[in-house]
Amino acid sequence: MKFSVLFIASILIAAVLIAGCSQPATQPSTTQRVIKVGVIASLTGPASNVGTNMWQSAQVAADEINANGGVPLKDGSKAQIKLIVGDDESTQQGGQKAATKLITDDKVDILVGGYSSAVTSSYQQTVAEYSIPFVVTGASSPIITHRTDINTSYVFHHCPTTDTYGQYTTRFIDQVVRPAVNKELGASSDRPLRLAMIYQDTAFGKGVQSAVNNTITNDKLNIQLVSQQSYKMGESDFRTPLTVIKAANPDAVYLAAFPNEGAPIITQARRDIGLNTIFLNVENNDNAQFYKDLGQWGEGAVIESRFSPYTAPAGDVADAQKEFKESYFKRFGAYPDMMGASTYEGIFIAAQATEDAGTTDKAAVRQALVDLEMPQVIEAMTNQVCSFSPDFRESSFDLWMEQLYYNATLGETRPAIVWPDNLKTTDFVLPTWYAAGSSS
Amino acid sequence: MMENLEVFLQIIFWGLYAGCIYILLATGLNLIFGVMKIVNFAHGEFLMIGAYITATIFFISGINPYLIMLLSMLALIGIGAVVERLCFRPILGTGKLNEIFLSIGLIYIFQNMAAIIWTDEWQSVKSPYAGITIQIGPLSVPLDYILIMIFTAVIICGLYLFLKKTTTGMQMRATSQNRKGAMLVGVDVERIDVISFGLGCALAAAAGTLWIVSGQIFNPYMGSIPAIKAFAIIILGGLGSIPGAIIGGLLMGLAENGAAFLLGGIWKDAISFVILIIVLVVRPTGLFGEKGD
Repeated sequence: MKFSVLFIASILIAAVLIAGCSQPATQPSTTQRVIKVGVIASLTGPASNVGTNMWQSAQVAADEINANGGVPLKDGSKAQIKLIVGDDESTQQGGQKAATKLITDDKVDILVGGYSSAVTSSYQQTVAEYSIPFVVTGASSPIITHRTDINTSYVFHHCPTTDTYGQYTTRFIDQVVRPAVNKELGASSDRPLRLAMIYQDTAFGKGVQSAVNNTITNDKLNIQLVSQQSYKMGESDFRTPLTVIKAANPDAVYLAAFPNEGAPIITQARRDIGLNTIFLNVENNDNAQFYKDLGQWGEGAVIESRFSPYTAPAGDVADAQKEFKESYFKRFGAYPDMMGASTYEGIFIAAQATEDAGTTDKAAVRQALVDLEMPQVIEAMTNQVCSFSPDFRESSFDLWMEQLYYNATLGETRPAIVWPDNLKTTDFVLPTWYAAGSSS
Repeated sequence: MMENLEVFLQIIFWGLYAGCIYILLATGLNLIFGVMKIVNFAHGEFLMIGAYITATIFFISGINPYLIMLLSMLALIGIGAVVERLCFRPILGTGKLNEIFLSIGLIYIFQNMAAIIWTDEWQSVKSPYAGITIQIGPLSVPLDYILIMIFTAVIICGLYLFLKKTTTGMQMRATSQNRKGAMLVGVDVERIDVISFGLGCALAAAAGTLWIVSGQIFNPYMGSIPAIKAFAIIILGGLGSIPGAIIGGLLMGLAENGAAFLLGGIWKDAISFVILIIVLVVRPTGLFGEKGD
């Protein structure tokens, strides 16, 4: 009995220690001036794959900044970046706990990160209350900076919103996929494309759904939405909504899903339902694990992207991205993903804003973020400059569309850029197994 | 009309598949509750460990995962026996609150240990039969799902025969019906507790294996939601009732998929609990439960 009690006590203590373990970060010595950067990421829970990537990318950025001497301040001193991570546990409650701890206990100077619009929006009230500059690098719903129920003036959005990429992808469908399908069918060029959607029932998923609907209406696109199915965040069995979608005879299916949902959706659709169509994915799926999970079933799928572990547009951006990927791989033995890339940039943006402000004073750093004009880091920005729009403080990225091709040697697909014309390396094609929804 | 019938049958089929996983998980949970009367919220973690054991052996050896399932079940009998002996037996009869907190603690311990051993990256297993479909009437269904249903039926029939035909099985039933009575007639109830807990965990391992073989991706947190649903199923079917767990599991699988079809995906989880509330209001002991459970 005594042994059992001791055993239980010891495993409980071990669990607490394990759960409470903070991940190692670059720790400047205590005598140096430091800029405390709180990184909010999902280190546990369903989004842990993306969250870990964000946190590790932040460490690569901080190491590079610190190795170059740190951030110059206006008193002539140089401050080192000190990262403190907050695990949002992929939940709203976890996000609130993490943000509150970082702001009130750790007293961070600036926040970077935030994945999942539902989770991120849950702790924005705390950010507003303490007026902490926050560079959001993962959550993509426009509500992050558009909402009016709280003060969002300290929040800066460094990733494309669902409005932006939803619109971009819908235009790609109209300009590239629709003509290809009509050609395949031998149908007249005015035949509408039959599009189905499956989306996560959160601010993120509904944001994409809304963007697609609005783009079709506002741009008067020749696209007919034949089925729109929602699912709960974290779902793993999509067979029933996919069966409904198949019955609607779509020409293509647009997914608003996280990588841990997108891969099973496509796999179940093709393998279990026999839905042999083009699957269009949002950018957060451009992730090494996504390619691994998809295997052969990803062939022909399309991803809207701005950073990929396996491809990049030719030129300066490709070189910068290659350097980042190599640094990351050297340290962590894996490739960074898109949310990692924007978080990496988020740390540089935080450092640049603090340098421009010359101080860690939060109001001054906020103003520096408003006025930011910084050369692009690793992702292609509009006009090659990182800056935030004056209205909703959103960055503007150059996006592209990739199509996936199966590599039998790897047993995985790999992307190639197919749109826009100035970036593409190959043309979009319909796979040989593709079945259009209807010839009518 | 024909197309609608096909969609309807397809959704029934997905409901049956989901029901199979629930049946295995809930039957194991009910077996443990029936004999020991303990509430184990960490039962989903045994599903997760079973899934990881199968996946690990599969990644290393490439052996057919359906065969590995047997090894995984055997391993979980051992793990379950250790957990019962070291964790649950000392607190048996000390109050439900202790059981609840202990099992919640075990959830975190198992999840963190799995994350350390296997990382918390999403993983997937490719069945050797992936891509093979067979025609059943108007439906073209993947072979894996048929195998999952067959294996579930075989395991449940095996359990039924074990409980009905073997001395140990009869002792388990006796302990489940009246623990003190069983002790008085010479049944070693502590031995029966270990066997029941181990068997319950083995069924969870089978559920975990069949889940991942069906192509679902998994990580250390995969067991939490199924465990909650398994609890709903055993309350729905009747605490301690194996037929209740089978009918409850099938009902839950069908209801979830029917709700996703008719009402939308966001109702998938909610509908199970709506049915649970209705059943409890109409019949508080559950569908097959008896007063006193």
